Amino acid sequence: MDLELSEAESELRDNVRAVLANVCPPAVVRAVYEGKGDVPSIWAKMVELYWPALAIAEEHGGLGQTFVEVALVAEELGRVVAPGPFLATVTQFAPALRELGGDQPLATGLLSQVAAGELTGTVALAERGTWEPAEVQATAEEHPEGWALHGTKNAVLDIGEADEVLVVARRPATTGTHGLGAFLVAGSTLTATSRTVIDPTLPLADVVLDGVVVPTDRVLAAPGSPGIAAALDRAGQEATVALAATTAGACRVIFEQTLEYAKVREQYGRPIGSFQALKHRLADMYLAVERATSLCYFAALTIAEDDPRRGQAAAMAKAAAGECQALLVQDGLQLHGGIGLTWENDLHFLLKRALSGNALYGNAVHHRSRLAQMLGLISESTEEDA
Amino acid sequence: MKLTFGPEVEAFRQEFLAWLAENRPTAEEMAEAPAVSSAHVPGWASRWTRRMFDAGWLVPGWPPERGGRNAGPIETLVYLEELTKAGIPRTTNPQGLGIVAPSILDYGSDEQIRDYAMPILHGEKAACLGMSEPGAGSDLAGLSTRAVLDGDRFVINGQKVWTSGANYADFCFLFCRTDPEAPKHKGISVVLLDMSTPGVTVRPLAEIVKPEHPDLNEVFLTDVIVPKENLVGQMNNGWAMANGSLAHERGMVWLNSVMQLEKNTDLVLGKAPEALAQLAPAERAIVADGLVQSIIDATAARTLGYRGFAKLVRGGSAPEQALMKVFTSEAARRLTLRAAEMGRDTTGDIGANAASDPTWIELYFTTYGATISAGSSEIQRNIIAEKVLGLPRS
Repeated sequence: MDLELSEAESELRDNVRAVLANVCPPAVVRAVYEGKGDVPSIWAKMVELYWPALAIAEEHGGLGQTFVEVALVAEELGRVVAPGPFLATVTQFAPALRELGGDQPLATGLLSQVAAGELTGTVALAERGTWEPAEVQATAEEHPEGWALHGTKNAVLDIGEADEVLVVARRPATTGTHGLGAFLVAGSTLTATSRTVIDPTLPLADVVLDGVVVPTDRVLAAPGSPGIAAALDRAGQEATVALAATTAGACRVIFEQTLEYAKVREQYGRPIGSFQALKHRLADMYLAVERATSLCYFAALTIAEDDPRRGQAAAMAKAAAGECQALLVQDGLQLHGGIGLTWENDLHFLLKRALSGNALYGNAVHHRSRLAQMLGLISESTEEDA
Repeated sequence: MKLTFGPEVEAFRQEFLAWLAENRPTAEEMAEAPAVSSAHVPGWASRWTRRMFDAGWLVPGWPPERGGRNAGPIETLVYLEELTKAGIPRTTNPQGLGIVAPSILDYGSDEQIRDYAMPILHGEKAACLGMSEPGAGSDLAGLSTRAVLDGDRFVINGQKVWTSGANYADFCFLFCRTDPEAPKHKGISVVLLDMSTPGVTVRPLAEIVKPEHPDLNEVFLTDVIVPKENLVGQMNNGWAMANGSLAHERGMVWLNSVMQLEKNTDLVLGKAPEALAQLAPAERAIVADGLVQSIIDATAARTLGYRGFAKLVRGGSAPEQALMKVFTSEAARRLTLRAAEMGRDTTGDIGANAASDPTWIELYFTTYGATISAGSSEIQRNIIAEKVLGLPRS
């Protein structure tokens, strides 16, 4: 197992970092926080540099690279708390299109548009705080013109920027992994209610489907077709690891800034970083960041090479990123002292990105419980125990 | 990044596996005479060392005349992986093979190499490492065992402690103070001490687990005479060797720690379903979460170790490596305590069973060996903070 970046991967990472430092400095993030940000120009730069095309197959106009490259970009986005539709479009929408749509022209056509930077998208999967496909309750009923969707979707990422929304719903009276289907709906036709969130660079909305009719030519996967739950799982692993990587990226910068602060901030006539109580905490913060980053890279690699460990690896990466942020937010804020509590210091952008990254697509607790199930330590249902 | 190394490396793995199948010590001979101390070399272990040496598998990264085959670091990693997977110790004298022999090869005279280093590599001699003292534990440079040059011989007085394997070792790679006037790092030398020399008294320190098989010892040195030619390298150059020794030790020690952690994690997981079935649902959820965190730890240890390793192979620096000891040793401690607490019968956890398989709580105690020795976790965190993160000294 070679877990260090290749030359090409390092070069990509360095280029992405340099570009983001230029187009997304803290002042731009602050502007987004204060409702004045120019998000479209950041996205335009990403499109110009073919970032949306990275992992899309060459026959669909992409660059034919792997999920490793996507995860590296996601990590860098976390480092600068970048806004914009990359995470929703490239790590949620495009993988779901690929996994659910296969060679269908509907899917490949949209993928080509994503690759060309002509189309943004998002996924409306979560309900009641869970992204587990088996928990979906929204329904798709047969309708003379196609399928009618009912129900409420939560925490849809960046729907305001999304041209297309991939909606997951199930045939009425089905449960679990049975009867699931996937539908494409134009973002402009959906009624979305923005949530007020701590990190406005990851905007979330609730969507009431309210009987929206999807014509048959916009059905990506008809309810009950084989393999839908597995395809959603696979796509969800990419979304999950991308969020883990973006969380780890934010945590690494929290660490770097806290370390720098500990070196320059003086009390009692010496840098606070010379006190052993702080040294040991910084060493533990460093370990937490490296632990999470290594698991993110490993998970990205299992997805890139389609290794059978990808499901567990993705859950581990997300759990570790969540644990990492719990420590980094706590000690990053604590070690900054009062200045970290001020709006004018940039630290809080990172803290909020780290917290949001943990919350989306299942937090650390959720992914640890999934691992416990995958490993046979607890059963999926606790009803039998009641 | 890639999940596997290239085909050449896999071919190397197959070559070693084929040799191992033909030449490995049998499970019976290993079980019949287990090594009970880190310098105890039973007959089978001695023969095994020699077979590996002759075939170039003892230290694959070294040249053939020293038991190797000039293998690269990735091949060496693969070799260590396969030995551990097969459950075969590479040596029963890890400090001899891992630290003492390479240090003598680096710094010693031709005679010392012939009389001390090569016999280790041939499985004929075992060595211990005389470093810690009652007044010099984590602060090794504070050692006070005194070696006074008197003509063509040293007269040595002092005391070592925590000396692993001193009760079985043939000789000791002994750190002594030779210039009490110099700054403490600059007055230390290393001599090779035959353990049968008059004036050497070894007192084993029975440990809290398996007291019948002590590995740690006190070594009392009273007017011990060592010929001057047993000085390793230059006078007062011992500190460089101490750092060199630890570098030898840390080279791939992380891999062994990772694989032991994975092995124990698998063992715990294997026993978990039965233990968890006895628990009430609320207990089970809590215990399962702890075990999951241990599995994440084990996977993280592997991925972190391999990432640092890959950086070193590319010729870069790998600050992650400094994290491995503290991470793997503390993860092992967490795992064994969780394992001890995972069953219904918690009185079973506090039972002692030293005669056969150790209980989890006994293993838990043994994990402290790794969090305390060779730079305690507290010292490791200081090293990380100062050497890796660049924080100012206290």
